[in-house]
Amino acid sequence: MADAAAHAHDDHHPGFFTRWFLSTNHKDIGILYLITSAVLGLISVAFTMYMRLELMEPGVQYMLMEDGITPNGHLWNVMITAHGILMMFFVVIPALFGGFGNYFMPLMIGAPDMAFPRMNNLSYWMYFAGSALAVLSVVSPGGDQQLGSGVGWVLYAPLSVREGGYSMDLAIFAVHVSGASSILGAINMITTFLNMRAPGMTLHKAPLFAWSIFVTAFLILLSLPVLAGAITMLLTDRNFGTTFFDPAGGGDPILYQHLLWFFGHPEVYMIIVPGFGIVSHVISTFSKKPVFGYLGMVYAMIGIGVLGFVVWAHHMYTVGMSHTQQAYFMLATMVIAVPTGIKIFSWIATMWGGSISFKTPMLWAMGFIFLFTVGGVTGVVLSQAGVDRAYHDTYYVVAHFHYVMSLGAVFCIFAGVYYWMAKMTGRQYPETLGKIHFWMMFIGANITFFPQHFLGRQGMPRRYIDYPEQFSLWNEVSSYGAFLSGASFLLFFYIVYVTVTKGEKVTEKAYWGEHSDTLEWTLPNPPPAHTFETLPTPDMWDKNPHH
Amino acid sequence: MSAIETAGARSPAVSRCEPPLYAVTLWPHQALSPRGFAVVMGFTGAMLCVPLIPLLGTAVGLGLAPFLVLTLGALGFFLRRNARDLSLHEELRLWPDLVEVVRREPGGGVRTWQANPYWVRLTLRPDGRPENYLTLKGAGREIELGAFLSPEERADLAEELENALIRARTHTDAAPHRPDA
Repeated sequence: MADAAAHAHDDHHPGFFTRWFLSTNHKDIGILYLITSAVLGLISVAFTMYMRLELMEPGVQYMLMEDGITPNGHLWNVMITAHGILMMFFVVIPALFGGFGNYFMPLMIGAPDMAFPRMNNLSYWMYFAGSALAVLSVVSPGGDQQLGSGVGWVLYAPLSVREGGYSMDLAIFAVHVSGASSILGAINMITTFLNMRAPGMTLHKAPLFAWSIFVTAFLILLSLPVLAGAITMLLTDRNFGTTFFDPAGGGDPILYQHLLWFFGHPEVYMIIVPGFGIVSHVISTFSKKPVFGYLGMVYAMIGIGVLGFVVWAHHMYTVGMSHTQQAYFMLATMVIAVPTGIKIFSWIATMWGGSISFKTPMLWAMGFIFLFTVGGVTGVVLSQAGVDRAYHDTYYVVAHFHYVMSLGAVFCIFAGVYYWMAKMTGRQYPETLGKIHFWMMFIGANITFFPQHFLGRQGMPRRYIDYPEQFSLWNEVSSYGAFLSGASFLLFFYIVYVTVTKGEKVTEKAYWGEHSDTLEWTLPNPPPAHTFETLPTPDMWDKNPHH
Repeated sequence: MSAIETAGARSPAVSRCEPPLYAVTLWPHQALSPRGFAVVMGFTGAMLCVPLIPLLGTAVGLGLAPFLVLTLGALGFFLRRNARDLSLHEELRLWPDLVEVVRREPGGGVRTWQANPYWVRLTLRPDGRPENYLTLKGAGREIELGAFLSPEERADLAEELENALIRARTHTDAAPHRPDA
């Protein structure tokens, strides 16, 4: 029998080591994810600065062999591989899904914690171990008698099978470990969302961000095992003489591409769908209106998720598929524009007639809508199998996916950071610096990536260290934009430092006003260690249904 | 969902011929119904088959299958595990001479508390932590009741139980409780 006194405990305050290294608290684990992904983001962005510096002028100026003359193409390949692997697996998804998902999804549905707090801790430390392996792979013996593996983040066979050294194996292990971490995290999120919603909170009443995390968790659950299987076979092909992807032994390298992209396309939505959730709340809060078309928004996310599983081969039109297959993948891909359009128009309709307040989170959210729409439109262009013959592996593709991911998803991360900064830290960021950060990044990122459309149309291929002089103008412009964006990222770290050390303390729970009305806004800033030990009642989260 | 069921208690710890004056079973809120569980598992299984079906009978299919089966198994295991973790029950039965609370825990543990309703004191603490913290004091112990319910549910339960205790105390056949009876 539970004795009465045992339950009436006060908040306990664990020591530093216990809190941050042994934590089972979803809020602390969320913060750990955010910090780790920010540090890895900095490393990954540093690689891009180096790459843009090299591409600023034709010829090879910086990435040279020891003789100081010979271009070091391997180093270039290592840089693009590491940038891709880090960004795809260790920065964006961990920040949005692991960071904000862990911190805010349980709060929004009124759950006291995640369903499996210890497994949550395990997920984080597996992610951490995976990140360490990924960084290690960059400095471990690899192909061409140099350090690192340079096969691209997609790890295509046979290139990845033949790459020398053990750097490639470390990279595969890194993806393995982080994949296992993501699958465990996804199961935790799914269980929490399905079984621990507050009484009365039916699926059609759950907040949009919680829904976005749930949809993302399913995307992870359904696609990552396929990647895990594929790269395990890659590993055995490399080390144990199997021939899953080697035609000499009856294998098929194109099959690896199918498996990779069966994971890879849903991966794109894993990155962006949590962002959809954040942006919906931000737009509603700062437009001072309930979000337009709640159910449409929910089913659009589900639709995008489901369609994401049946369009993968649009990444590989040029491998020799039949016309019928190409026609199918082309049509299926274009259909995704429908649910995506529903979301874009619903956000615009939410703003329409609203009393918009242009605070920093709102700027990031509006920037996201603009940039994601640009990236989405070029996506429809690339979905055409015929057009893709010309654009395949050119900078047009680089521009497209950076508009939806580098700009779209990263803008969502910043929208979330500024939106919830005071909720997480108890202190508010300096508004002017936040706005300067936004404009530097918005202008810088557009200057970086918009000219890359022109480069792609001119025919400049991606993944090369050098280019002919005809491409020099837009490459130079693009590099200046990259430096501006890189500087804005450093400013962001300064803003976080200033906020945490000197930011104005915020005591009002719902400091953005009454339209921020999900359950996290009923809690103090920052929330206590234990929240919703007593389940919230509908009047706490259902003041204005479908806000 | 969390619930207060007054239709009758399950598996009584003590056997008595006469029906209790009042019986209630309490359990924590669970959002996922058994049907919901079946739908989730069915959907996940079907979606996991999408990449597997074209590869059936191939070496790659064999390489892939364990990962997909493991994932489906893990999802089912953890959903059930969470439901089991929340499968706590508290059963309260009240006779004129005996009040009994049986707490059945997820791990299979059963804890029982018995007292004479005449001396039992029911306390609802509106400013408690958690809000409306409900306790029963008697036989030398104070136990909590329905700590997993919402504050409103505990307030309703307290009112219902207080009335039942009054009925028990004023029951004409009331007799002193003999634990060895």
